[in-house]
Amino acid sequence: MKRSLLVATAAAAVLTAGAVQADEIRIGVLYPIAGTGAVYGEPAMHGHNMAVDELNAAGGILGKKIVSFARDTKLKPAAASAAAKELITKDDVNVLVGGLSSAVGLAISEVARQEGVVYVATIPKTIKLTTEKRHDHVFRTASHTDFEGDAMGQIVAKLGLKKICDIQLDYAYGHDLAAGIEKGLKRHAPDAEKVLDLRVKLGATDYNAFISQIMGAGCDGVTSGLWGSHFVNFAQQGSPFGLFNQIKYISGGEIASHEIAGKMKGDYPDNVWSNTYELWYHHHDPSHVAFQEALAERSGTKETAMWPVLAYIGVKFIAAAAEKAGSMDADALAAALKGMSISTPVGPRTIDPETHQADTGQFWGPMVKKEGVDYRVMDPVTFIPAVIAE
Amino acid sequence: MDSIIQFVQQDLGNPGLAALLSNPSFAFIQLMNSFSQAMNLFIIAAGLSLIFGVLRVINFAHGAFYMFGAYIVYSVAQEWTGNFWLGVAAAGFGLAVMAVVIERGLFQYIYDKEHLMQLLLTFAVVLILSDVAKIIWGTDQYSVSYPASMKGAVDLGVTVYPTYRLFLIVVGPAIAIGLWLFTERTRFGRLTRAATQDREMLSALGVNVPMIYTGVFILGSVLAGIGGGLAAPFNSPTPGMDATIIVDCFVIVIVGGLGSIWGSFIGAIIYGLVFNYGSVIVPNWQDVFPFLILLAVLLVRPWGLFGKPEGGNA
Repeated sequence: MKRSLLVATAAAAVLTAGAVQADEIRIGVLYPIAGTGAVYGEPAMHGHNMAVDELNAAGGILGKKIVSFARDTKLKPAAASAAAKELITKDDVNVLVGGLSSAVGLAISEVARQEGVVYVATIPKTIKLTTEKRHDHVFRTASHTDFEGDAMGQIVAKLGLKKICDIQLDYAYGHDLAAGIEKGLKRHAPDAEKVLDLRVKLGATDYNAFISQIMGAGCDGVTSGLWGSHFVNFAQQGSPFGLFNQIKYISGGEIASHEIAGKMKGDYPDNVWSNTYELWYHHHDPSHVAFQEALAERSGTKETAMWPVLAYIGVKFIAAAAEKAGSMDADALAAALKGMSISTPVGPRTIDPETHQADTGQFWGPMVKKEGVDYRVMDPVTFIPAVIAE
Repeated sequence: MDSIIQFVQQDLGNPGLAALLSNPSFAFIQLMNSFSQAMNLFIIAAGLSLIFGVLRVINFAHGAFYMFGAYIVYSVAQEWTGNFWLGVAAAGFGLAVMAVVIERGLFQYIYDKEHLMQLLLTFAVVLILSDVAKIIWGTDQYSVSYPASMKGAVDLGVTVYPTYRLFLIVVGPAIAIGLWLFTERTRFGRLTRAATQDREMLSALGVNVPMIYTGVFILGSVLAGIGGGLAAPFNSPTPGMDATIIVDCFVIVIVGGLGSIWGSFIGAIIYGLVFNYGSVIVPNWQDVFPFLILLAVLLVRPWGLFGKPEGGNA
């Protein structure tokens, strides 16, 4: 089912490649479609295609049909950079959307800057994309590491934790999140003291050496951004030591998303507080009900993943900006995106005209057991808005 | 002692080393961590080393075999039966079947070819298998529960330690001794060793050499499958896990000496110790140290600690 959709997209891209392009809108899509990153790229493509299909059914953008040109970023900055260039030169796309992993996002953004094409970053979270590496044509609809770190600081304060161990992946996202947490702690929990800083290789599988250090350091809270299988391994190795009875685990990296909870089921540890962009069972915005039903039908499961909504929102922003600008010209599009507001299945979003950053808040809460289901759910769900209170 | 600890903590500014010196139970846990990690790696590396010792093929696809072992345990133990040990047995059996198909269908044609050809073929198998795994299991990260009897921890007096990890510490040496007995004490083992010395002569004596090759390839692959199966509870079956493990295995078998069971055993323990203590004492350099050891061994003793120099008739 998933595969056939991807194939259909690819086939559509090939078939229409030779068509006259004046009467269509060409969107260049960059996600990891094969290999390790496909676990995120495939669901992201569902969300992307869903938005495009909805828009086309309603007459497209500026009355023109939208055609997507998807290319694989392979989770590698070099591959993403080459793919972005090809999309612009060969496929003649009007706009770039997507990106997964902070390093990939920065690589695509650099191409967008050189070629003068608008890039809407839907998933990369490194703060640099909208600070020191920002340029006229890059916009971000994902959250970022300062928002994430600030929310974690709030939770540390709320739980009254005093001694913090921090464990992060040793690459752009981990480093930036550690800095974000540092600021968040200073702002919200000035009494909390950081007692241990650990850095783990991206893709690491053995965490025992780090787990015993955390347990020996005597911290009552662990802050982290270990995502995906990193968290699964860390939790599976930490649980037999009793780690999660000793500490509260406060994590970015969206490990509260159903793709992690639904897979770990009974092995998901206690005392985890984390975030997610979307929860299939939580209707923060009334429009989420219809969105989730349509997504469930498309992906063939009742319990849907978190990634689609990010890709979905990216396309909706582009469409709204194009309608407002009245053209797909890069500068007009960029001007329209500044300060642009749209409503999404997870609430309204506005792009800051100065920083090019959307006010993308996230759902945060403890992951608890619930009667009648064999996976953990977030309860209570708290929406922490993307506002850093100075 | 206290003054040493104070010196390390304040003048050297190394809280990790100070913690190791001042807290014996922490130092002990890292020792146990080293052994349990080493023993899991040993089971996999021993298979790689065994296959190279007899077939003279460096099997890049060994990591993919490990990944299949982990996925099979997920399907059998987590999805279908709920019995972890049945899952590990299925992983061993599944890999035996895969080994026969791959050895008879592909590898048997390249034993006399140059190393580059062998490398290309085994690498092609890596790519094919990772796609096959994606078609069967998709791209999700799975989680496998510990066997019910080994969920908790055991009190060792100095500290508590996870039961499953202790089990790995026991099972590694058991497999090492089993392999040693097999190669030294059985007829098939003796023929295997003879095949590494002179396969033409063995063939002339009427021994079915291709069958020995297939047998050894099955044994090595089953070790990868079981190693992957045993790793599944703490190592989430996920795409890409094959690439990580093969690098670790290469470090171990090159340090220990390609083709030597005890070499892999010692190589794995060195790797475990360096990784676990290194990550405490020099946290930012932990990934470099295994490779520094590799480099040192390659410079001083390129055939490895327990290996034999290439071309020498030992």
